[in-house]
Amino acid sequence: MATESNPAPPPLSSALPPPRMSVGAAGWIRANLFSTWLSGLLTVTSGAVLVLALWYGLDWVLLDAEWTVVTTLGGQFIIGSYNSEQACPGQNCFWRPQAALLLVTLLLGMGWGVAAGGLAKRIALIAAIAIALLAFLPYSLDKMGLDVRLLLIANLPALLAGWALARYTALGTARWIVILSVAVFLITLVLLRGVPGVPGLQPVLVQNWGGLTLNLVLAVAGIVLSLPIGIALALGRRSNLPVVKSLCVTFIEVFRGVPLITLLFMSQHLLPLAFPQNFPVNPLFRAAVVITLFSAAYMAENIRGGLQALHPGQAEAARALGLPGWQTTLLISLPQAIRNVIPAIVGQFIGLFKDTSLVYIIGMVDIVRVGYRFVSGNTQYLDNAPEVFIFISLVFWVFTYGMSYVSRHIERQLGVGER
Amino acid sequence: MNRYLKYMAGAVLLVIALAAMACQQDAEPPAQSTAPTAAITAPTEPAAMTAEATAMPADSESTSMTNQGDSRLASVMSRGTLICASNDSLAGFGFADASGNITGFDIDLCRAVAAAVLGDADAVEYRPTTASERGPTMQSGEVDIMSRNTTWTSSRNATWGNFAPTMFYDGQGFMVPKNLGVSGMMELGGSSVCVQQGTTTELNLQDFIAQNDLDIEVVVFPDNVATNAAYTSGQCDALTTDRSGLVSTRAGFASPDDHTILAGTISEEPLGPVVPHGDEQWFDLVSAVMSMLIYAEAYGITSSSVPTAVTGDTAIDRLFGLEGSYGQEDMGLSMTAAQDVIRAVGNYGEIYDRHLTPLDLQREGSRNALWANAPCTDCPKGGQVYAAPLR
Amino acid sequence: MTELARILTYQGIPVWRHTRVIQWAAQILSAIVVVALVAWFFANVANAVQERGISYSFSFLSREYHTPIGDTFVPYEPSDTYLYAFGVAALNTLVVAVAGVILATLLGIFIGVIRLSGNWLVSRLALAYIEFFRNVPLLVQLLFWFFIMLVLPPERDGYVIAGQLYVNNAGVSFPWPTGTGQPIATLIWLILAVVAIIAGFVVSRRLSRREVETGRTSYPVLLGCAAAVAIGALGWLLVNAFAGDAPLAISTPEPQGRFARIDGGFTARAGMIVLLIGLVMYTASFIAEIVRAGIQSVGRGQTEASRALGLSQLNTLRQVTFPQALRVIIPPWISQCLNLTKNSSLGLAIGFTELTSVAQTMTQLAPPIPIFIMLMAAYLAMSLTWSLIGNLYNRRIRFS
Repeated sequence: MATESNPAPPPLSSALPPPRMSVGAAGWIRANLFSTWLSGLLTVTSGAVLVLALWYGLDWVLLDAEWTVVTTLGGQFIIGSYNSEQACPGQNCFWRPQAALLLVTLLLGMGWGVAAGGLAKRIALIAAIAIALLAFLPYSLDKMGLDVRLLLIANLPALLAGWALARYTALGTARWIVILSVAVFLITLVLLRGVPGVPGLQPVLVQNWGGLTLNLVLAVAGIVLSLPIGIALALGRRSNLPVVKSLCVTFIEVFRGVPLITLLFMSQHLLPLAFPQNFPVNPLFRAAVVITLFSAAYMAENIRGGLQALHPGQAEAARALGLPGWQTTLLISLPQAIRNVIPAIVGQFIGLFKDTSLVYIIGMVDIVRVGYRFVSGNTQYLDNAPEVFIFISLVFWVFTYGMSYVSRHIERQLGVGER
Repeated sequence: MNRYLKYMAGAVLLVIALAAMACQQDAEPPAQSTAPTAAITAPTEPAAMTAEATAMPADSESTSMTNQGDSRLASVMSRGTLICASNDSLAGFGFADASGNITGFDIDLCRAVAAAVLGDADAVEYRPTTASERGPTMQSGEVDIMSRNTTWTSSRNATWGNFAPTMFYDGQGFMVPKNLGVSGMMELGGSSVCVQQGTTTELNLQDFIAQNDLDIEVVVFPDNVATNAAYTSGQCDALTTDRSGLVSTRAGFASPDDHTILAGTISEEPLGPVVPHGDEQWFDLVSAVMSMLIYAEAYGITSSSVPTAVTGDTAIDRLFGLEGSYGQEDMGLSMTAAQDVIRAVGNYGEIYDRHLTPLDLQREGSRNALWANAPCTDCPKGGQVYAAPLR
Repeated sequence: MTELARILTYQGIPVWRHTRVIQWAAQILSAIVVVALVAWFFANVANAVQERGISYSFSFLSREYHTPIGDTFVPYEPSDTYLYAFGVAALNTLVVAVAGVILATLLGIFIGVIRLSGNWLVSRLALAYIEFFRNVPLLVQLLFWFFIMLVLPPERDGYVIAGQLYVNNAGVSFPWPTGTGQPIATLIWLILAVVAIIAGFVVSRRLSRREVETGRTSYPVLLGCAAAVAIGALGWLLVNAFAGDAPLAISTPEPQGRFARIDGGFTARAGMIVLLIGLVMYTASFIAEIVRAGIQSVGRGQTEASRALGLSQLNTLRQVTFPQALRVIIPPWISQCLNLTKNSSLGLAIGFTELTSVAQTMTQLAPPIPIFIMLMAAYLAMSLTWSLIGNLYNRRIRFS
């Protein structure tokens, strides 16, 4: 390589050390915080804001805030009035959501056993350990009984059982996990609803489901149902059949163009009129339908975006290979389109989960309403509303951040945007 | 891929089917334990069979008067629960306690109706309803009764439903911080006033401003948490709502003595339960239950002294179904319904003492004492609480 | 059998296998099903409405509304009609939507850009901002801001900045131009002012085109503004000379009476401020991510090439990266605008009298069904307008 015109590089030992300001901590600070005067100014200002915010924030959280309202409501935040004397007379019904939680942990364990990556393991472990740690909350034993605590701790063995099940039995495939997830969701519904005549499983009206469980049930139902409906609507909108297309466009635009609040009002006022006077359209079902349809309209637009971004060559090639139209759509176009818009779909799921907090409008008591009605109706807590809302924000944040974390991971694994 | 899609489609169908099933369950009576104890002339078809019931107009067993062929009473009976639109966030009247039970004065009125109809005061299904949602909720006909601190007005009577006897007399007042030095309602000109949306208070305030030509800025909030927070932080100079609300709110303040409730009221607020239009039998029944509560107090009968054998006092014997009748058969009540009611929730005075006395709402000398010459010896008298005599 | 098969063919193909026939049959079938469902629904509703004596007439619209509306941008008296009150409320929603979109877009672009900055601390803060505000329900955020707002001192001992700006927990009041009792002079000047702005715009367009064509620095923005101000000022002087009075006066806020309530100027009331802050902070976190994705979608070579040509970092962003990123940014941005408009309906939770809130109050004394039909129509109109703007703009940048 070296020719006569290019003098040989000086031997390494005689090279000058790098400038002191470009390596080590000082170097990092210089490069990342003070690279230009503008950057330095930004660092100083934002640093000052951060310190001030932390100072006042911590001062309030630790000294001024009155957190007893949050601890008083403990179980209600999770399940609303479900375990109250009115909803579940003469029994302790709290084990039912807890049992459902155990099943979910079992599934998480199976996911960990099946998945190759570290993500499933991380999520499963963090979730199970966090749940088990709840057993050590400093409540007195009559407020939070031993059975409740043991069932919480049981999540750890459940996780391991799930892992073992996936590793050492035939159940350890993705297909089985999908089937079992559906089964667990249905079992959860049955557990919460109860079965008439079965001791220990006395029916609890869905009106009494509440708290975070209600948000989760609505969100899961909405997510599972809005995806297929959204796909159907998206395909309908792109179809060249004029009637189908215009029906789909109308549906999408109407549901997307109106606030969810308004749709919920309509379901409250108009829907009962459409059914016979005594036909019970229970509020949970009503809320789930409205949220699902609202979300499906958005989902349709996301998926349509994915389909539009797809190169027409894909479909043409499939047709050229002799695949019929529906197979081209289902096997070639849709999988690629969905893969392209995973971030948008997960974003929609997050939105759906957050939107479940609006069901208070039709008289459902979700986690937000649990806090709100309590501070409102018990005047000694009237001043503690901010504490309640900060706590609820944290709960929501944990779930939604978890969802977006998973989405980013999947995105990276599929290599979206890297082609 | 094809196979997976099939599985997915199958799963989705399954979910839909089961969700539908889960929702149908409500149509069945939830449990046999809440089966009616009262002997009532009601059809035995479950409510979900409305279509069939309508198809058979000659439903001979039914005492219904509605053209739908299915009376409210019958559907409550077959459902096994009473659907009660309630408040879940107003101290004293209807609110959720720390364990999630809905309690309060208005709630006990629903419980009384459930005890009368179903023999079980706990067989109530509560529908938390916001102030501005309650009109449409009543019109939709979905609830059997609404007991939710609702003011009886003529227009509501015309559009929402029938109002049973007034169970609480209230009037709208104002509260101001003491340090503002306001001594009367007429001095509020130039102030801003917080008021809750979707209530008669909002309309009354408007009338008050217009009548007295005061320059008041109205600040509207959707619920009492926001309204009270805005008032205590000084966002508005005065708070207006029913006086009972003012008293109970003030009791919850850290320093109640810093606030004055101004003398006088600007409106009449008779509060009572409402039932949907279109079923007179049901309306009569609910009204009778309210009468039971009031007359039980007037006759000095409490939840612990309900007679089960003839006492010799004809009025008491008639009330408790031991001798004579006040029209139970025509309303579809069992003869001894009052026994169940009073045993379960107590008389009017007991309900009041249980929920409203702790909020500093004095009954003695107020309009909520029994009428002046009520027969009881040692109950608060001289007020307006009165209802149709049970005979 | 063969006879039957022969009859049941179309263009030589059995009908049950002819795509065209199947498609049309399916379409007609689905249309029938949908129409039947809709008809069943409305027949039942109409039946119930009649049976239960629920009014569904729109005649209430001409009745007097008689209820206060907290925030108004146009004069409103309680003796005005329902229809007018509905319009007042719709205007409230519209103002919040437009102001919210502008502010959220600015904040979103700012956060999105600093999210990509080389400054570690700033970029992390931007990330923290996005991850927090995106992941908490707006309803909870609004309630949170509502209580933060109440921490400010009350009106009677609020902050006064420079004697002009009043900040307190009832709102923010600042000086605002008002007419001077000569509506025609005011109107003439307002028309002149619009002309001035258009002229300034035209000047700046011309100059910037010259700059691009000739390469000479022409200060398009500066000169455009100068032109607008000059024409506006000239118009002011002329109107002043002819009418004998200035076309507009400045009204300043002033505490009045024993309650020290602030009068005059313009007061942005607490409900509106809270709703705007909540909507802007929430939507900006989404727009920031959209902006980031848009900027990242522009090839790295573009940035490198423009830096190699000597453009500064800011100029690279402004003139090279951002215009290209717009193509990716606009469609999701439009749907955020739509979301913001719809989310303004949560104003009812914190005491801002927007459309949904007023409509709900109206259902107290008027039939709910017509009100909700109007409500849905109003939101649909706003949403479709956003979609229309988006589609038009999208088409323009796609083919330019």
